[in-house]
Amino acid sequence: MATASGPARTFVERFPSEAGVIKANLLVSFVALGIGAFFGLIQALHRTDILRVIDSADYYTMLTGHGVLLAIVFTIFFLTGFFHWATARSLDQPAVSTLYSWAWFGLMTTGTVLATIAILGGLVPNLGISADVLFTFYAPLQAHPIFYIGLAMFIVGTWLAGADWFLSYRAWRSDNKGERIPLQMFMVLTTMIMWYLATLGVAVSVVFFLIPWSLGLIPSVNPLLTRTLFWYFGHPIVYFWLMPAYMMWYTILPKLSGGRLFSDPLARVVFLLFLLLSTPVGIHHQYLDPGIAEGFKFIAMTNTMFLLLPSLLTAFTAVASMEHGARQRGGEGYLRWLGALPWRDPAFTGMALAGILFAAGGFSGMINAGMNINYLIHNTLWVPGHFHLTVGTAVALTMMAGSYWLVPQLTGTKLYSRPIGLLQVIMWFIGMVFMSNAMHRAGLAGIPRRTAEPQYQNFEFLTPIGSIFELRVQIALGGTLLFLSVVLFLFNMLLTSLGEKSDRPVDEYLPEPLSGPEGSPRVLDNLGLWTGIAVVLVILAYTLPLAGIIQNGGGLFGGGLPIPATVSAGLDFVTTLVTTTVNTLLEVAA
Amino acid sequence: MKLTKARALVIIAFSVPIAIELRTVAGFFNIDLPLIAIAVIEFLFLALMFVLYGLYGEGSESAS
Ligand code: HEM
Ligand SMILES: [Cu+2]
Repeated sequence: MATASGPARTFVERFPSEAGVIKANLLVSFVALGIGAFFGLIQALHRTDILRVIDSADYYTMLTGHGVLLAIVFTIFFLTGFFHWATARSLDQPAVSTLYSWAWFGLMTTGTVLATIAILGGLVPNLGISADVLFTFYAPLQAHPIFYIGLAMFIVGTWLAGADWFLSYRAWRSDNKGERIPLQMFMVLTTMIMWYLATLGVAVSVVFFLIPWSLGLIPSVNPLLTRTLFWYFGHPIVYFWLMPAYMMWYTILPKLSGGRLFSDPLARVVFLLFLLLSTPVGIHHQYLDPGIAEGFKFIAMTNTMFLLLPSLLTAFTAVASMEHGARQRGGEGYLRWLGALPWRDPAFTGMALAGILFAAGGFSGMINAGMNINYLIHNTLWVPGHFHLTVGTAVALTMMAGSYWLVPQLTGTKLYSRPIGLLQVIMWFIGMVFMSNAMHRAGLAGIPRRTAEPQYQNFEFLTPIGSIFELRVQIALGGTLLFLSVVLFLFNMLLTSLGEKSDRPVDEYLPEPLSGPEGSPRVLDNLGLWTGIAVVLVILAYTLPLAGIIQNGGGLFGGGLPIPATVSAGLDFVTTLVTTTVNTLLEVAA
Repeated sequence: MKLTKARALVIIAFSVPIAIELRTVAGFFNIDLPLIAIAVIEFLFLALMFVLYGLYGEGSESAS
């Protein structure tokens, strides 16, 4: 890592204008967290029938607001703030233009506000604006055009943000010829390449299909096509959530535990594997879609299982670095070193607890990924149980924990209260154990997700252990603890930022890894090569399925229901397309 | 090792998933643990932590 300037000067002193941009990003992120968590509480209490403050008909509005504000706004604004920090920090130089940085922030924020207005408009019926389309927003659900337009602005904003970091990198490169890319910068760049590749799918879906359709310019869309384009992006977005968390586990957690990162080359390999493997797997969300041939689903499943590898490598590295840190602090024994970790520090404890629940989420994810067992839990409450452990904890709790260390660097103040921070991360852990464990069990009992009224008349769900009533109480209890935890977090952040300037500020210095970048082959830094391979993999994985979907679903804009598909339909389509093109070309040439 | 407030809190946090899943473990041995039994066990555990914290926690005399 490039920074050797040491603890003497804080980030905000060295990069005041970057700190301003980062703080603005975190502010939007935290506001979204507060509103989203409040909606989460309402849902958890409503669908368990513990307390009902909204009409069941408004449940989808709440759920859309919850999904969009938490899974998209909270996480991605945190990411853009954090990546901006990491770029300036690891290159040890300011961004190329502050005005430009504010421009992408402004575009993202405007888009977010438009989309949020469209969603919340659903609560005011005579407004005529609504977007009850859930955070997956594919057809046949339709939103008001300003939802999609806001979404498009938001995505273009993230593209411009990525360009900001690539420009910083280019400026650094011209002064540092022949040097290895600093680790955090490497992580930012690989993540953004993956993002460019993945958002292409959703951009096509929004701009060519959903916006014209919502404006009434085209009468119908091919629903399966918009679903497939969504999931083409919808799986990689998982890694857009996870990468900032992984980056904190790789570069910050070892320091917090008192040691150093175990291996820099391994970290680079992990990020490259995510770049290569995260896009060609989206069809694993569509195992039950009839319009896609079984063979393509099988290929997506195999790719998904490969994708487990970088996560398992990450688990290994994170634990190895923590153990190294604990032993530096005098920890001994086979397991007793665990006690020597800095549990008092909410930044450390939050990340460690997030990592532990992520392991549990990884196991339920393997169940989701298996084509045959997936049928057991598809669209049940098991699925929210799974992703509240992954994005809802591994990512969200790591981001909150990281804020305890990051925000004081940006404000030059001291963290308002470490004990409250500690209580907050522990409450999140306990709340999530209650809520997600009960959700997994409820899913196994067949209780559906995404509904205000999961109870059916004259039908009884059965659980092997305990009763449905207990599960409902656990979900409501967990949801309440989670909401209170968010309140404590926001309170702590607010008072931290209002605090007095500290003369002993948090230092942002990160120690060198145990095994540095010298140990890794140079080809790892050849980002052009890896992008090329990633593109080829995507083309291989998606050409035939997309061709089949267009063929079976009545063309690009076909509004009919998809018919059960076979591999040959896609193949026929591609063959016809190629032969007609060749024939036309020959005719033109003749 | 001193039982700090932070360590005690983390141990309590870990006790929750273990308590909840205790029923599954008991299920393997064909024992039906009702939720109330779990609540009692967890409560006893909390009480134990409380006592231990009083004996060996921060600020207690035996703390080294
Ligand atoms: C206060 C904490 C939270 C509570 C009480 C909560 C509660 C819930 C509940 C009960 C559902 C299921 C609704 C249903 O299927 O009927 C849900 C769905 C969801 N939650 Fe949360 N949640 C919380 C935090 C989070 C966080 C931090 C994230 C992500 C960063 C998140 C992302 C989602 C998503 C994406 C959905 C699915 C939306 C959909 O089905 O379209 N939640 N949440
Ligand atoms: Cu996925």
